[in-house]
Amino acid sequence: MNGRDLKQLRIGPSGVRGIVGQTLTPELITDFACAFGTYVQSGLVVVGRDTRASGEMVKSSVLAGLVSTGCTVVDLGICPTPIVQFMVRELSAAGAIAISAGHNDARWNALGFINFRGTYLNEYEGEGVLDIYHSGEFAKRPWDALGRVEQKTDYLPIYFSRLCSFIDTKAVREAHFKVIIDPCNGAGACVVDILCECLGCQLIPINNEPTGIFPHDPEPRPRNARQIASIVKPVQADIGFLLSSDVGRVSIVTDTGETVSEECTFPLVLEHFLNRKKGPVVTNLSTTKMVDDIALRYDCPLVKSQVGHFHTIHTMLGEDAVIAGEGSGTVAVPEFQPAFDAFLSMGLILEMMAARRKKISELLRELPRYHIIKEKIYCPPEKVHNAIDEVRQYYRNEKPDLTDGVRVDWSDGWLHVRASTTEPLIRVIAESNHKRIARERADRAVSIISRVI
Amino acid sequence: MPRGSSLKVGISGIRGIVGETLTPQLVTTFAEAFGSFVGPGSVIVGRDTRASGEMVKNAVFAGLLAVGCKPIDVGISPVPSILIKTNRTDAIGAIAITASHNPVQWNALKFVGRGGLFLNRYEAQELLDIYHQSEFALVETDLYMSVVRDDDPVKEHFAAVLDYLDVEAILKRKFKVVYDACNGAGSTFTPRFLELLGCEVIGINNVPDGVFPRNPEPKAENITQLCETVKAEKADIGFAQDADADRLAIVDENGRAIGEELSVALAVKHVLSRERGPVVVNLSTTAIVDRIAAEFDCPVIRTRIGEVNVAEAMIAHKAVIGGEGNGGVMVPAIHPCRDSFAGMGIVLQMLAEKGKTVSQLVSELPSYVMVKHTVACSTEVAHSAMTSLRKKHTQDGTVDTIDGLKITYPDGSWIHIRPSNTEPVMRLTAESPSAERARDLPRRFAEEISSLC
Repeated sequence: MNGRDLKQLRIGPSGVRGIVGQTLTPELITDFACAFGTYVQSGLVVVGRDTRASGEMVKSSVLAGLVSTGCTVVDLGICPTPIVQFMVRELSAAGAIAISAGHNDARWNALGFINFRGTYLNEYEGEGVLDIYHSGEFAKRPWDALGRVEQKTDYLPIYFSRLCSFIDTKAVREAHFKVIIDPCNGAGACVVDILCECLGCQLIPINNEPTGIFPHDPEPRPRNARQIASIVKPVQADIGFLLSSDVGRVSIVTDTGETVSEECTFPLVLEHFLNRKKGPVVTNLSTTKMVDDIALRYDCPLVKSQVGHFHTIHTMLGEDAVIAGEGSGTVAVPEFQPAFDAFLSMGLILEMMAARRKKISELLRELPRYHIIKEKIYCPPEKVHNAIDEVRQYYRNEKPDLTDGVRVDWSDGWLHVRASTTEPLIRVIAESNHKRIARERADRAVSIISRVI
Repeated sequence: MPRGSSLKVGISGIRGIVGETLTPQLVTTFAEAFGSFVGPGSVIVGRDTRASGEMVKNAVFAGLLAVGCKPIDVGISPVPSILIKTNRTDAIGAIAITASHNPVQWNALKFVGRGGLFLNRYEAQELLDIYHQSEFALVETDLYMSVVRDDDPVKEHFAAVLDYLDVEAILKRKFKVVYDACNGAGSTFTPRFLELLGCEVIGINNVPDGVFPRNPEPKAENITQLCETVKAEKADIGFAQDADADRLAIVDENGRAIGEELSVALAVKHVLSRERGPVVVNLSTTAIVDRIAAEFDCPVIRTRIGEVNVAEAMIAHKAVIGGEGNGGVMVPAIHPCRDSFAGMGIVLQMLAEKGKTVSQLVSELPSYVMVKHTVACSTEVAHSAMTSLRKKHTQDGTVDTIDGLKITYPDGSWIHIRPSNTEPVMRLTAESPSAERARDLPRRFAEEISSLC
């Protein structure tokens, strides 16, 4: 059976992800919303969604489930996930459910469970929700103790005024940047207009309608950034940004039209932010060595977490880090909020350009650059363990790190092989000073895995 | 008495107690089953004012969206308005969220097919089969529809009723009317309707918050507040509705509740005086209807209990008027459904045309006394008890066994005995021109049933 034909459902501590029409049914969503509502003890819950066509169905299920457990719901409508997370703290809510499958294609949708701090649930919290889900013992409230649904529409100014007071808005405004942003018709559509207005940037928007019709995969990476790249030079833009549908991730296109790997987003922000504030840095095991080099240059300790949003965020909080980020194009600054937030990333990059008075292409040239190869192999769940084990066996003499799959480090680079937690596939990432070496290492891992499948 | 299940799944829909049996999961699954039954298309969704309506509505939306239907959200709406909108628009069905006259902790889904009739028992059986087999036509994201709001639920309904009435005649009289909407779906729509007829309108229990100030069933004993208000205000007439505004009871100008059986009797008299044709009522409806029809030389067709049975017989026999003795006036020229608005309009037109008071109109009707009685009878023995009653009483008079047992005696008295669908009891309804006989008949049969049960 082809892995693509598998019925997909991924249940993890911080959420549930599935394909609509197959596994992500309204009953399942309602059950999870009931479990979450029971977990937060019928408290106030914030709900927002991205623009996917299935979002309204998912939201209706979530509202029905939450209200039945006595939760009062603040419905933010279509709303970027980092702003949902921000509003949890703003409203002193008990938690939130963010409805977005982020970078996954339009067939997918997901529930993200967020706690009262505005972060994704950690393993222990998530365990609590899952136990309630599996027991089916939901708080069932009678008619006079049901929750209510309140629509809220006036929240964007609150978020952006806070964001703009965190960034050196004056410096950015004076630079009068011309910025292209492609929100991929996702939750960032039209919201990016407010960001640019606050920062005094001239916005040239692409795919800026909240229709949920994705013109390309909503994953910020070079192959999806071609539309931006094609107009950067003609319109003489200073920078281009490509967003995921939930505005958690961002990748960059330079003023020269180069589509930059999403791996560079975090190192770029890190290079700038450690000037503002020094302290521990957190990244995951699959992220570029550029991060190691920059942390070392600023003499800041670097801690590597397992791969997965909530691992990175909770390691960041546990290590009292000043910043965290991942190779997928995410950045979180806990001083602003403990959440991956592409609005903040864009703001900090523009602040960096203004502060250093350099073009984005120049700033990127100053970063250490490596060659990174990312591969993914569809792998049926029952073969994942064998596949990973085969890789471990092969590299048993190279002192592999087994925290999350298999990671091998050499003086000239590294290789990471791990099972995806969101899709039925194994990810292979190799990075090296030399493109040929990275390519060889990735190919070798792929061939080892292919033998098993 | 053993506690029965608080979930009733039957041909008239599903009904349950919120917080116990009517869970969002169950509602969602039924909505999916209904959407699979009618196929993709527009499905009207309306509700009464119950506090749990919002939860149930979201669950219904989720289920409908998941199978590719386009929910048309009409919000709080009288049930006849939902049926008529289904009939007059391109909707392929509707779900009415209302537990009608049941107490406030209940809610229910009622399923409406193309054309705006409640599902008949064969259609309902098909729906239940789909539900029980979980054969849902889940669609993938690219076939998803959005919820569409319709802010004027009564548009088609009011247009049809006003078109049927002699509005000019009613307008001239400037009637003073008190209405009691039981804080249900009539709260805001009834004054709007009566004002269109030029009435001076006084409302009580007209806050659409779903907190019922009285038992929602519009029986004489439940509407004493209305009676007092009519008297105090020196109004021409008082109207009482149930929570979903399909049933109507009338109070005369002296503040006396005339009895909900007379709503349909008055309507029959008015309609037959203008247009002769068949009358359709259910087995338990007052014999006054037969007397009136006989005066006009029109046939009366009696049906099983259940609104859809009356509606289908109306269509089959090309009836001109009919309904149910519980206050359900049905005018097929408007739509074959119980419609308190059609009932109000017809009675006002009678007053206008004849220049008489309500009490005068009532005094011109034949006088009958109706007595209702229940006898405990477990569901296990109900069937055998009915069989022996039928055998024993075949010679007593005219016997009808289409729904339980109805015996009509030569003196015009009758008794109808049927097992309840909802409780372990037998329901006895008797009516006679003689009050003594009306009391005696059910007493006698109750003793006999007790000996059988």
